[in-house]
Amino acid sequence: MPSTTTNGIEPKPISRARLRLSGRGMWITFLLVPPMVVMALFVIYPILSALAYAFYDWQGLARGEFVGFANFKKVLFQEPFASTTWNAFKHNIYVFFALMIIQNGLGFILAYALWRDLPGARFHRIAVFLPVVLSTVIIGYVWKLFFHPIFGAVNQLLEAIGLGALATPWLGDADTALNALIFVNAWAWVGFPTLVFLAGLQRIPSEILDAARMETDSELTLIRKVVWPLIAPSATVCFVLLFIGSFNWFELPYIMVGLDGSPYGNTDVLGLYFYRTAFGNQSAGIQDFGMGSALAVLMFLFIAVFATAWTIYLRKREIEV
Amino acid sequence: MAQLSLRGVRKNFKNTEVLRGIDLEIHDRELVVFVGPSGCGKSTLLRLIAGLDTITEGEFILNGKSMLNVPPSKRDIAMVFQSYALYPHMNVYDNMAFGAKLMGLSKDEVQKRIAETAETLQLQALLERKPRELSGGQRQRVAIGRALVRKPAVFLLDEPLSNLDAALRSEVRLEIAKLHNNIGGTMIYVTHDQVEAMTLADRIVVLRDGVIEQVGTPRELYETPANAFVGTFIGSPRMSLLKTTREGNRFGVEGSGSVLLPDAPETGAEVTLGIRPDAMSLAPEGSEEGFEAEFEYAEYLGNDAYVYARLGNGTRVSLQGDTKLSPHRPGDKVRLLVDPAEIHYFDSETGRSFRQ
Repeated sequence: MPSTTTNGIEPKPISRARLRLSGRGMWITFLLVPPMVVMALFVIYPILSALAYAFYDWQGLARGEFVGFANFKKVLFQEPFASTTWNAFKHNIYVFFALMIIQNGLGFILAYALWRDLPGARFHRIAVFLPVVLSTVIIGYVWKLFFHPIFGAVNQLLEAIGLGALATPWLGDADTALNALIFVNAWAWVGFPTLVFLAGLQRIPSEILDAARMETDSELTLIRKVVWPLIAPSATVCFVLLFIGSFNWFELPYIMVGLDGSPYGNTDVLGLYFYRTAFGNQSAGIQDFGMGSALAVLMFLFIAVFATAWTIYLRKREIEV
Repeated sequence: MAQLSLRGVRKNFKNTEVLRGIDLEIHDRELVVFVGPSGCGKSTLLRLIAGLDTITEGEFILNGKSMLNVPPSKRDIAMVFQSYALYPHMNVYDNMAFGAKLMGLSKDEVQKRIAETAETLQLQALLERKPRELSGGQRQRVAIGRALVRKPAVFLLDEPLSNLDAALRSEVRLEIAKLHNNIGGTMIYVTHDQVEAMTLADRIVVLRDGVIEQVGTPRELYETPANAFVGTFIGSPRMSLLKTTREGNRFGVEGSGSVLLPDAPETGAEVTLGIRPDAMSLAPEGSEEGFEAEFEYAEYLGNDAYVYARLGNGTRVSLQGDTKLSPHRPGDKVRLLVDPAEIHYFDSETGRSFRQ
């Protein structure tokens, strides 16, 4: 309400003069309106329209008639779409759990090591976070080269240290492709949970840790009973953001294995499948805006519901330090 | 049973020497207070005893065993921290049970001990509460309770009263004294407040710049301070230090004349007289005795009054005055009489007492 007085006095009946914006109100309006317009145009409108698109039949870019939940039924239950959907979803779940262990787990261990100020902590604090600021495109491209079956650094290194038997076409093998992607993601992003956990650890008052050390000499007990509960807010952030990131996973697999989730859909995830369906792909052949939108809506709902529920649960166990 | 002995203990943090050779024996059931200005190393010394920091050089023996390689939790020592350091995610019961359980006590034993402790400290009604739901005084009691439950050989208390308001402070001080009488453990108490030190201690250890200046009972420290620092640190208002030049038995202060002190011990020519407020008084009007000084102001405290005056060489002195306030105005010339029996003689150069 830009036209009300700021001193808390009950506003008088609105007169013509009062409707005019005061200097302060004008500034607030001036600063708020542009971002809100951008937000509405490029975030809220697409979400709402995608929601609407999902209920229509589409011929290319031409909207057909209203079909109710038909698009949802197709992507969830009608073959061959249904098995692709579930296959991709299964991979998202796998990615999430794997990253929970590797990325967040390692992130915590690294944060703990950095926090204990081991020799070289200063250097490592920067080194660990460096890949986070790199562009995903660069990371994906470079690691794709590293994983190249013949010229790639990974296989060459394995041969050089006498483990040539382990060399394999990492991104081309159905057994290793998804794991290779997960590894790269963890490598690139481990700095983020590390930083968040480290910030949490540094907030713990040192006297509390001293008090705990007076009562136990086991590092593990200290971590489990004192440190971990006290950095619950950091864990909430890392867990929920990883959850959202895992089910929205797109850039890295897109760059490293392409839209089809090669080989043979072994790295297919919902993000890729949605993109293929909505915008088409040479190999996929079909292009269906309605089904694509339905997939997007389902992903949005799934992430929103679970992320919210989980956040509420995690918040409950947090305490004030 | 607890007998502590520190031998030649030194502590360096990087290039800074914090403790420079501490030798100290602490006996069973004693309440020893470490006192000194901030930065004197008293808290560091406590942390070395606790095992939270490592000793750079020297030996620490508890009940005949070297503690150098024993982790804090295995030393049979409990500590009460300045900030209380309660675990914020545990309720009062769990805060007290945590250490006891880790000692390997049975569940029943832990429960029994907590019940006992809660009764002693009147915590029964608070056992389910989280630390953030407690007042400062209650947190303090929980912190003490957490130490008591473990029944350690030695209690360490690091400025436990500094976060409490003045009224609560004297109350808790009394409780700690009572507690020490009841449980009879060895207690080491760190404070920068000499009143706490005087009222609680069996013996006081005065530290300055990482060195022990004097160890003794409160009375010993007050009556026979080993040096000028201890003299001024113990007692309130502070002992006044008068730089004098001795000729025979006359001690002269520049610009204030001199006094005759026939019983003075053997000293050098440069002597610093330590005079407590109660050993100095205003001379009656017209007297030619004592030091000449300029009246500055008077403090009336009800049962007491203190007069502050400035000597010819600029030294400010404090003395106990008459509660029927003197009619002096700032700037008036006054004469100060000293009680020869109550004077401390310190070497002006080293600060050491000549009576030792």
